[in-house]
Amino acid sequence: MATTTFTVAEQKAQDRRTRRREAKRNVWAYVFVAPFFFLYSVFGLFPLLYGVFLSFHQWDGISKMKWVGLLNYVKLFTVDDVWWQAIYNTVWLFVVATVPQLLLALILAFIINSGYIRFKDFFRAAYFMPFVASAVAVGILFSSLFGLQYGMFNYFLSFFGVEKIDWLGSALWLKPSIVLVTIWQWTGYSMIIFLAGLQSINPELYEAARVDGADTSDVFWKITMPLMRPVILFQVVTSIIGAMQNFDIPVMLAGGTQSSAPGGTDHAGLTAMMQLYWSAFKYNTGSKSGFGYASAMSFILFFMIVTFSYLYNRANGRNLTED
Amino acid sequence: MGSNDKALSRRRFLRFAAAGLGAASVAGVLAACGAAKTGDDAATGAAGAEATKAPVEGNKAVVELNFWYWDGSGQLWADAYNKLNRGAKVNFINTPFADTHDKLLTSFASGTGAPDIAALEIGRIGGFTAKGGLADLKSAPFDGGKYEKDMVTYKWTQGSSADGRLVAMPWDIGPAGVWYRTDVMEKLGLPTEPEAIEALISHTKGKKWEDFFALSQQVKEKSGGKVKMVADAATDIYGGALRQGGEGYFDGMKLMIEEKATRPAQLAADYRKQELDANIAWWGADFAAGVKNDAFAGMVIACWMQSGLSRDQPQVNGKWRVVPAPEASYNWGGSFCAIPEQSKNQEMAWDFLQWACCTAEGQNTVFKPTGIFPAYKPAWADPLYDEPVEFFGGQRAYRMWANIADNVASITRSPYDLQADDIVNAEMAKVMKEGKDPVQAMKDAEAAALKAIEGSTP
Repeated sequence: MATTTFTVAEQKAQDRRTRRREAKRNVWAYVFVAPFFFLYSVFGLFPLLYGVFLSFHQWDGISKMKWVGLLNYVKLFTVDDVWWQAIYNTVWLFVVATVPQLLLALILAFIINSGYIRFKDFFRAAYFMPFVASAVAVGILFSSLFGLQYGMFNYFLSFFGVEKIDWLGSALWLKPSIVLVTIWQWTGYSMIIFLAGLQSINPELYEAARVDGADTSDVFWKITMPLMRPVILFQVVTSIIGAMQNFDIPVMLAGGTQSSAPGGTDHAGLTAMMQLYWSAFKYNTGSKSGFGYASAMSFILFFMIVTFSYLYNRANGRNLTED
Repeated sequence: MGSNDKALSRRRFLRFAAAGLGAASVAGVLAACGAAKTGDDAATGAAGAEATKAPVEGNKAVVELNFWYWDGSGQLWADAYNKLNRGAKVNFINTPFADTHDKLLTSFASGTGAPDIAALEIGRIGGFTAKGGLADLKSAPFDGGKYEKDMVTYKWTQGSSADGRLVAMPWDIGPAGVWYRTDVMEKLGLPTEPEAIEALISHTKGKKWEDFFALSQQVKEKSGGKVKMVADAATDIYGGALRQGGEGYFDGMKLMIEEKATRPAQLAADYRKQELDANIAWWGADFAAGVKNDAFAGMVIACWMQSGLSRDQPQVNGKWRVVPAPEASYNWGGSFCAIPEQSKNQEMAWDFLQWACCTAEGQNTVFKPTGIFPAYKPAWADPLYDEPVEFFGGQRAYRMWANIADNVASITRSPYDLQADDIVNAEMAKVMKEGKDPVQAMKDAEAAALKAIEGSTP
């Protein structure tokens, strides 16, 4: 042992050589993973960092950028009440549209996966269908269904003596209309994800439980739910991200025209992402809009998404993906 | 200079090579990065102009021009111009109205991707004239100044920047008036001849909005409340009365919401309170169904409505008539054409733009089939303008539009136009849907708009 004493420097040099040899040996592995890192740095990392940089500036995209430090954030937190109304609407829509949508999808998935149902493939396809429809088609379809004077919904309601409802025009009904379309469009997608999770559960576990005398509710709470937690976690986190970035459905239903403002009456349907987009691209000019201001908005949203996802994860206990 | 050209073309070659490798957007992002770093639009603009001249001088026949506009009628210009073989080929690209200005802005911000000719709408023009990105059509190689006397005055002002650059050439205007349908009026036992209606409601006969209310009342009564005069007071009444004081809420940098919008808002609120409108929102499926179901006898809107209506509601073609609005002539909407500094073929783009916007031939190519009305006054000399118009049941409507266009009040545009529009529209929604007091609503709108732009330097 004494004969092979290295100095620290020698040891370090030795390590470097080993590392270099390893790198050389694995060169093809690096080549194969490189495209991802290259594309990620161009399309992911660069825009992200550039967004941070932008959020400290006032910039309309054409004129010279102006450094304003934290002023954009200060304004957003202190004086911009439309922004906070948009945040409120976004969270409201998450609670009232996304949460029920996930619960409904889970229940539907459980029913379709159970042995009681025939024509499973048909139901699976039927529920998934709305998700495939393009945003524009959905917009045209629902704006005619929701029409005040000639909409189908009001026509049906008239048989029950219900007064005409101004679905998209009144502040009271705009949010429920958005909720309806969101649930209609997204339940099928969540259901498919949950269904995939359900089908990956080993049926032997159910059989063993039956043999031990468990009833359906025992099976659901003691076997299905615990084993579904990773899938639910995934779907809930992606739904949180999706809901915080809620954009296309509200825009289709209340995007504003030449004679109406985006978000509808009282900004009832204005989501954070809408306000962000309008600030950046439509209003664009001034100290409370433009690319810099919108970047600051996007970072507030980003931290909200991280916080909600983290809280959900914490509430769930351990790291469930290790189950 | 020569070596500079070479470097640029090599860089461009490399860019294409990169595109071939499936990494086209990398160059775009790098270009964006470069533009952002210098943050100097003038510099990038100049570089763009330099790079562009070579292909024009080399071989005129291969020059291709991209033209962005949000209506299919842009193809009419492209086809007619391409037939002339003036050394360039125009590719018309139909960019949806909701996106086209945003897309142009993005291409300025990223330093790449702008077309050679871009159409801009009146509501968004203020955001572009106040900044860079568009070439000054008055300074060499352009000589647009000579068209000033030929264009409708207010339109010329709106296309110019505060420091006197002409950044957008007037294309079309929106002279507006009261439209009505003879078949509906006849069914109700009301007059159908334009002269008779004009005598009842038009400013040319000294009539006011109150007189228009009276006619609306008749429509309502004679139909037992089933048919109304117009679809939505927020668009027909407010939209008209507001624009009679000139389009927009700013005069220069001076905000005038309270001053300009209070009375129009009161009129619209009154009209709704008396249930004179059909309460059908414009531009949507309900509106189309309303026309089909004869829910309203007319509308107060600009001439460009002809283009969409003749396409979407052909069953009522020939039944429309128009008369001048109550109280005053006014304009609603209209567009401009501009050449982005990024364009690599500015000289040919200018050739196309001049032909299209500043000749009777070019303007009437689009006007004849669509009714998109030229801002270029010499175009109105064409006999076409005195002919009976089939869409209007043989009425000589085009001469009337021209007369209206010559008598329009206007104020200049500001970069905050769209923001102010949305703030006022939000308050108008409260007036119309929730019965908010119109005077208070416009006070609130003024305060909100001031708050939105405070601390800003344009």
